[in-house]
Amino acid sequence: MSGWRTLFPNAWYIAVREYRGRVRTRSFIVGTALLALVAFAATQLPVLIDYTSSTSQTRLVVLAQAPGMPADSLTLLSSQLNGQSTDQSAHAAYAITWLAPGDEAAAQKDLEAAKFDALLLIVRDATTQDLTFTLRTDSPADGRSVSQITGALPSLEIEDRLFRAGTSTDALRAPFSLTVAPVSGSSQPAKDLSQEVSSSLLSTGLIVLIFMAIITYGVWVAMSVAEEKGSRVMELMLNATTPIQMLAGKVIGNGAAGLTQYGLILGAVCGGLIAQDPIHKALLGTGTGTPFGGLSPSVLIAFAVFFVLGFLLYSLLYAALGSLVSRQEDVQSATSPLMMLIMVGYFMSVFALQSIDDAWVRIASLVPFFSPYLMLARVSTGHVEIWELALAVLLLIAAIAVALFLAARIYSAGVLLYGQRVGLRQVFRAARVSR
Amino acid sequence: MALIIDSVSKRFGDVQALDGISLEVKPGEVFGFLGANGAGKTTAMRLVLDILRPDCGSITWNGTPNTELPRETWGYLPEERGLYAKMNVLEQLVFFAKLHGVKGKVAEREARDWLTRFRIPEYADRRAEQLSKGNQQKIQFIAAIIHDPQILLMDEPFTGLDPVNASLLKEAFLEMKNQGKTIVFSTHQMETVEELCESIAILDRGRVVVGGSVRDVRRSTGRQMVRVAVEGDPEMAWLGALNGVTVTRRVQDYTEAEVSPGQDPGLILQAALDSGHKVRHFELTDPSLEQVFIEHVGHLDTSERTLAPKAARK
Repeated sequence: MSGWRTLFPNAWYIAVREYRGRVRTRSFIVGTALLALVAFAATQLPVLIDYTSSTSQTRLVVLAQAPGMPADSLTLLSSQLNGQSTDQSAHAAYAITWLAPGDEAAAQKDLEAAKFDALLLIVRDATTQDLTFTLRTDSPADGRSVSQITGALPSLEIEDRLFRAGTSTDALRAPFSLTVAPVSGSSQPAKDLSQEVSSSLLSTGLIVLIFMAIITYGVWVAMSVAEEKGSRVMELMLNATTPIQMLAGKVIGNGAAGLTQYGLILGAVCGGLIAQDPIHKALLGTGTGTPFGGLSPSVLIAFAVFFVLGFLLYSLLYAALGSLVSRQEDVQSATSPLMMLIMVGYFMSVFALQSIDDAWVRIASLVPFFSPYLMLARVSTGHVEIWELALAVLLLIAAIAVALFLAARIYSAGVLLYGQRVGLRQVFRAARVSR
Repeated sequence: MALIIDSVSKRFGDVQALDGISLEVKPGEVFGFLGANGAGKTTAMRLVLDILRPDCGSITWNGTPNTELPRETWGYLPEERGLYAKMNVLEQLVFFAKLHGVKGKVAEREARDWLTRFRIPEYADRRAEQLSKGNQQKIQFIAAIIHDPQILLMDEPFTGLDPVNASLLKEAFLEMKNQGKTIVFSTHQMETVEELCESIAILDRGRVVVGGSVRDVRRSTGRQMVRVAVEGDPEMAWLGALNGVTVTRRVQDYTEAEVSPGQDPGLILQAALDSGHKVRHFELTDPSLEQVFIEHVGHLDTSERTLAPKAARK
């Protein structure tokens, strides 16, 4: 276990070599570019959805042959279908044309020629004096436009009846008071639904980020150890360096390469989110509001801390397991127990998001192997005491120290063992006899 | 003032890899490690390099325990050859030099120097995987010595080299020796040992069966060899009939016979003269290293006896 004093500069040289070797591979370059592109495209999905739904405008023609209707019926129908904005711009869901009475045959011809999508006929019933509606369209009967149009008609009918009963349109449109209050009646406003959804989405996103990073870049570390062993260059390295230097260099180098890839992808995401608003404006005339709604500095700091510490812990173990195989092909099977552990932590955190303040979540979030996920989930959605956070971080650091010690021993024993399959017993035996 | 291995033992599970070996390698000497596969040569080197720790015994260089020596004291060419396949040759050499504390600029100059000396300067910018086995081996040799170590430990350095490259490597050996380096290498090739080494040790099953200067080792059996040829009697039937004389080899020019310890080789000359033929050749010599090796180890076989625990065998 010599080499604490002399960790650098050799660990640094190894880290630089690992980093360069990794970043220069074609798979890294192509993979990063593709992922960044996909990430950027994903951030533009909401804009795309808004845009495509806005272009699928329903052209509705209204032919009212009912004398005595209120003068503002068209305005009422339009506001029912297009929301509060009464503008007839290209982005409205419905383009409504109000025809003069008597053109039914012409309108029918235009409808058949698909000059518009739906024809609404309004006639006054001779006996009841009520309005009767006929909607002619080939849109599906249970489709969105049919149900929206039919849903708007009762208000037309009601307004017409009230108008006939003598109520003025001004009185009909007079504003009224509406208040939404919390159950307890306290002044504390209830948490916004959208805010709650976005913080839960955010913590899921952050947990997935940590999960992906540990799996992807941890395997890189194991692969690079196995590669050195497989090509037997390990023997040259053993004379030049100490196992601790090699371990540290590999974890730092591959971690930095991973962070580079992550940084580029996150950069694409941030760029995409920032670009969302201007793009939305350019295409649709309206903005989307500011992105990153649920991100607070404390969540970001927790993410950074648990990301780095979690990666350190798992990648040390990946390096130790990688040192036990003789060929890169065996890395997958040798590291599968670790994979299970990582999956367990991940699924725990997914369940924990449903019941973030349960006792089991509070306890499990202190356990080093799970705290990177669970504490992050708690910080971003639930309530965490400062001492809990501090304890989790301390335990995680302690676990990293233990992992470093164990990994260095397994590593220095493992790198000299060549065989089809190395069991734990050989490792422990070898670890006892090695320096 | 020497590399001293004192009563060193090392056990892997149920295999006693080294069983109390003691050796002394004088500074500036070329020292040969002989032994069948599995005799413990590689383990001994790894112990000297402090890659493994002995169960008991001590290893010192000029009085300093090997555990306290800086790593750049040693240059090591492992038996299992390997380089970073995707890394280019120059970067690779500079990397290894830097790990041993050589500054980057110096390392690059040294690397180019050595590549030129080995007649492969044009490979500096190639990836290691693009090189032939023999050229990779030269790169590995450079990687082992680029930091100008005091002692070179080379595990089977000549295996797999063609005669041209082998002689290039031998030149490099002699040059390192002239610079005052101490060189320890293991090999199966007896001719190479007789050509390069001043001292040797023959290992068998973890023990040093004989060690010392090449001359002393060749004399260690107490036997002497006589090479004799007489005109007109290629058979020399009388030779085998002599007491304490065994014919070991018949070649075109002479017949070689072994004289048991205590017997006077003059007896053979007398018998040759007595046979009435003209004596054309009479030479008194020590047994070759090969013969000594067979004598001590009992076989020249190179069958596998790995040192790793059974389950970890490849």
